[in-house]
Amino acid sequence: MHISAWLWFAAITLLAWGVVGLLQKLSTNYISAESSLIWLVAGFMLLEPLFYPGRSVLHYSGWNLTWALLSGFLNALGAWALFAALKSGGKASIVAPLTALYPVVVIALVPLVLHESITHLQLLGIFFSLVAVVLLSS
Amino acid sequence: MHNAMKARWFWYSLLCVLSWGAWALLSKLGSREIPPETMQFLFTIGCLPVCIALLIVRRFRMEKSPKGISYAVLNGVLSGIGGLTLFAAYHTGGNTSLITAATALYPMITVVLAVLVLRERIRPIQVIGLAFAAAAFVIFSI
Repeated sequence: MHISAWLWFAAITLLAWGVVGLLQKLSTNYISAESSLIWLVAGFMLLEPLFYPGRSVLHYSGWNLTWALLSGFLNALGAWALFAALKSGGKASIVAPLTALYPVVVIALVPLVLHESITHLQLLGIFFSLVAVVLLSS
Repeated sequence: MHNAMKARWFWYSLLCVLSWGAWALLSKLGSREIPPETMQFLFTIGCLPVCIALLIVRRFRMEKSPKGISYAVLNGVLSGIGGLTLFAAYHTGGNTSLITAATALYPMITVVLAVLVLRERIRPIQVIGLAFAAAAFVIFSI
């Protein structure tokens, strides 16, 4: 059986973020969600020297650099909005499954932006994955 | 639903879904050209304005819990590694919808770890969730 390169990378992401989910529970036993986000980004900063691109960054297109910076901003904004939802009376059993559905936004926009296509079977797989995240986070 | 739309938490949740959807899509768009290490470098810089805003709102007051802080910093390192491999996955040119759906399944690992490490009891609904996640992965690997 041949497993595509993307699936191996995705599996590492899955494992790393799965552990993050557990440590997040432990960290918010001691500090607030907002503080844990601030210290999480401090953890990102520890990695920055490893990933420092130097002058090579000047070769990339301005748009792609903008998307990269904006992706970080929106990810942190989304995390803040999740905490705000929970603090303003949203039940975790509703808010968590709702926010876990973010791939729906991507799946809806991909045909417009990227012109990629998927098979019916892959669509079924995506549907199963969405059912799974809703059940797992509710 | 009508009541939900009047509630602030609903609009915050919607902002979260839209922000994270846009984060994933923009990560893909940037990754077409930019290699994963540089994407993660720039991504982190993008996070900083939100952190600084949070710090200002809190007037730079932080809880002093070494345990809480250690877990959160370790979280950042792991989360950054996961981000790096997400950018790597997008950089391969693999299908964007599949990569986004597959990596969004990380709660399956958290649920299993919560049972193994924290000795939490798994609920029947989560068992069904794990079965759907497994089926999704089988399909993705075909």
